[in-house]
Amino acid sequence: MQRFLDPAVLAGISSLDLLAKTVVDGFVAGLHRSPDFGFSQEFAEYRAYTPGDDLRHVDWNLFARTERCYLKRYRGETNSQLVVLLDASNSMQYTSGPPKKMDYARFIAASLFYLAIRNQRDAAGLIVFDDEVRDYVRPSTRQGQLARLFAGLEQAEPRARTDFGKPLQHFQELLHRRGIAIVISDFYEEPEKIVRAVEPLRFHGNDVVLFHILDPQEIRPLLKGPALLVDLETEQEIEVIPEYTKTAYRAKIDAHIEQLRSRTQAAGMDYQLLVTDQPLDGALREYLSLRKAGN
Amino acid sequence: MGFLAPWFLGGLAALGVPVFVHLLRKHVTIPRPVSSLMFFERGTQSSTRHRRLRYLLLFALRFALLLLVVLAFADPFIRRPAADTNGRLLLIVLDDSFSMRAGTRFTDAKQQALALLAAKPHSQKAQVMALGGQFAVLTQAITDGAQLRAALESIQPGDGRSNFGELGRSIRAMGETVHGPIDLHLFSDMQRTAMPANFADMVFPANVTLVLHAVAKGTAPPNWTVESINAPAELADPKDPKRSRVQAVVAGFGAPAAEKTLSFIVNGKTLATRKVNVPANGRATAEFAPLDVGYGFNRCEVRIEGGDAFPADDTSVFIIRRSDPERVLFVHGPNDTRSALYFGSALSAAAQASFVLQSVTAEQTTDLDPSKYAFVVLSDAITLPSIFEHTLAQYVSKGGSVFIALGTNAGHHARIPLWGADVKDTHDYSRTASASTVGQVDFTHPALEQAQPGRDNGGWAETKIFYAAVVDPGQARVAARLGDGTPLLLDRQIGEGHVLLFTSGLENLTNDLPLHPVFVAFVDKTARYLSGSERLSGSRLVDSYVQLRSAAEPVGEVASVEVIDPSGQRPLTLAEARTVQTFRLQRAGFYLIRFANGRDAVIGVNPDRRESDLEPIAPDVQQLWSGSKGEASIQTANAPGDEAKYRPVSLWWYVMLLALLVALAETVLASGYMGTQREDA
Repeated sequence: MQRFLDPAVLAGISSLDLLAKTVVDGFVAGLHRSPDFGFSQEFAEYRAYTPGDDLRHVDWNLFARTERCYLKRYRGETNSQLVVLLDASNSMQYTSGPPKKMDYARFIAASLFYLAIRNQRDAAGLIVFDDEVRDYVRPSTRQGQLARLFAGLEQAEPRARTDFGKPLQHFQELLHRRGIAIVISDFYEEPEKIVRAVEPLRFHGNDVVLFHILDPQEIRPLLKGPALLVDLETEQEIEVIPEYTKTAYRAKIDAHIEQLRSRTQAAGMDYQLLVTDQPLDGALREYLSLRKAGN
Repeated sequence: MGFLAPWFLGGLAALGVPVFVHLLRKHVTIPRPVSSLMFFERGTQSSTRHRRLRYLLLFALRFALLLLVVLAFADPFIRRPAADTNGRLLLIVLDDSFSMRAGTRFTDAKQQALALLAAKPHSQKAQVMALGGQFAVLTQAITDGAQLRAALESIQPGDGRSNFGELGRSIRAMGETVHGPIDLHLFSDMQRTAMPANFADMVFPANVTLVLHAVAKGTAPPNWTVESINAPAELADPKDPKRSRVQAVVAGFGAPAAEKTLSFIVNGKTLATRKVNVPANGRATAEFAPLDVGYGFNRCEVRIEGGDAFPADDTSVFIIRRSDPERVLFVHGPNDTRSALYFGSALSAAAQASFVLQSVTAEQTTDLDPSKYAFVVLSDAITLPSIFEHTLAQYVSKGGSVFIALGTNAGHHARIPLWGADVKDTHDYSRTASASTVGQVDFTHPALEQAQPGRDNGGWAETKIFYAAVVDPGQARVAARLGDGTPLLLDRQIGEGHVLLFTSGLENLTNDLPLHPVFVAFVDKTARYLSGSERLSGSRLVDSYVQLRSAAEPVGEVASVEVIDPSGQRPLTLAEARTVQTFRLQRAGFYLIRFANGRDAVIGVNPDRRESDLEPIAPDVQQLWSGSKGEASIQTANAPGDEAKYRPVSLWWYVMLLALLVALAETVLASGYMGTQREDA
């Protein structure tokens, strides 16, 4: 399974469809369970009829044999909704080696969409944003939804800069149903501001997950000499010395991650740090666990 | 230092590439993109300057690499003195003439010569010579550095006059025996007056390479000197207004107009001072009169007070000898009365003569002692008493002088007393259509001496000779001849003395010489020559010669001569004092000389005043001289041993080795930078 989830391997696959199928099939096969398990109309229990219940759920065969009126209840009959909020700002195109953070985010989103639509038959939607909402694919389970989502991912090229405040106001208008909202970003913003911007989604009853995408060089940068660094979003330049990156920078990024993790969890949201040189299964497992918990 | 392929130096233009890349082109730092600068802080540290310094080091290495490669292609070489194996002889000529005393010229020249000698390869042969009054060879061609150095150290500045023509002649003579290449290094002040009249005299043979080391830089300093002294060597009457005076000419060389004070010093006491205004680069004359000098030899000196750039030439020394008038014995024939009149009149009229004529007939000479007279004149006195003739012969052999004039009696008596030869014939030109004239005159003879004889043959052309005897000259020196070649004046050395034979008479019957002005000068110079007073006093130039004894084989007991130089030393050894015939006056000052004939003399010796003109030879002439070998070498390009003066030693390998080291250093340094750039990318 590891081979199919390795980002370096996935970077060589140009088709998101094939990539997502490879990832999901590999991931599901690794679970040692039937691919259809839990995803059909499955009997759960009988419940005594009470006035007001829908007569369509009465087990008439049982009533004929016992003249008792019971309602037959099934498991998994309700579909969830998955909405991926993908950050397409310029900072997402950073890389110290394949794949880029943006590509890694696409892999994750595509895999989640595939898993949701093909396997779970959930509705899935996509919101691409930077400092505003750039693309929106309404959540749906209709035929061709997966292709539309993949097309949305393909068109999501990094540009502009990140601003969580402005687009998330629109998220609340776009998301009417409860479901799972996954925010994929590198979250170069103050944790407090991020949580404050994402928190309203949680208030609508969504399960909110923050996938924090970072390059290994962003966590442990290596500089052999003084270097001129340029911000991909603001194009600001500063000269940085290696001693700083070995000490103060690492402390700051660690503090940032930890602060983001604690704040999101405190707000009832989940947080997952994804490094671009790590396999994708962590993200998929997080989604499934959320969906299982939600049903 | 030079380049065997200098056209490759054009590649130095490539040095502009690293200059442009490192210094002119703005250095571009490739920025390194990051997602956000949120967690970065600006940090400039000294390492940035270190990096710039490292870039400068890289630039220097690249610059040096290109430079070394270009130099390697240009093939640099250094000149090393060729080893003795090439057969090159190092000839060191040090000028020790009088002008080298000015300033530090001689010291500088000697130091340069010693430095050159020290740099000589041990195996190379060298020879040391001194160019002063005479070209002196101090060593043979040897390799012993200590001996050569000692020879150089022994050279001291002299009082002589350098002459590059003499140098050229000596080297040409040397080149006839030394056929190998010669490197001649001349250390001199390159005085212009040392040049000969003909430049060709200075040119060296083809195998000689001349290197000039001029120690006099820039323009010559102004210098004044006592150029000449006109003073009587003999003075009989100090009150004689015509003769009792000294005229000194002061000359300025490269000097502005100035007022100079001259002092006349006699035997160390200043008798008089005169102020003269010397024009710029001109001359002025000062006169000191009368001369209050005592009897005997008076050491006189005229000195310029105040000093100048060359104080050594500010004085001029000379001797004035005061004595009573000397007697001259004039022996004439019984019928000859005119000759004594003419000769006596001329002798008294001569400006510098101090003689009293005593006229006697031949018969009256029996009891006379010739040694009491300055000289003896035999005028037409062919027949002498035998006792007097014998006494006269002894007188001549001991240094006395006799002047014989053959009159008309020569036709009757063929024998000439003292002369040792007979009259072969007589020419009576009065019987022919016209009288004979004087054809050839040796103006270098002391009796006929004229510095610049006129076009009228020095005054002798107008003279008509009516009667002359024909005498075989034999060993005698012919000083004058008639137009038909008949000897007119002959000089013969007998013992220590001279016999001067005039083949005509001293009266106006045999010739009209006594009627011409040249007769007075002739008598005057003859009297001074024969009396020997000319060489007993006065002044001479350095490097002139004094004849101490006659050239003839000594008869009987050999008398010693004695010379005391200005420093009080006796330069002649005892053996030399008994044999030497001439002595060279090498130093300036007063010389005390006792001749072989027992006569004493004191002579003032001065340096040649041409040495006082310190103006050096023009640089272009120096270049022409030092490059004069070029033409000759072209003519004898195939001559064996005509090799370069220095052996070129190529530095190609060293430059390439250095370039390789620099290239390695540049590679190491540059690869470090490239590693950083890969990380940036």
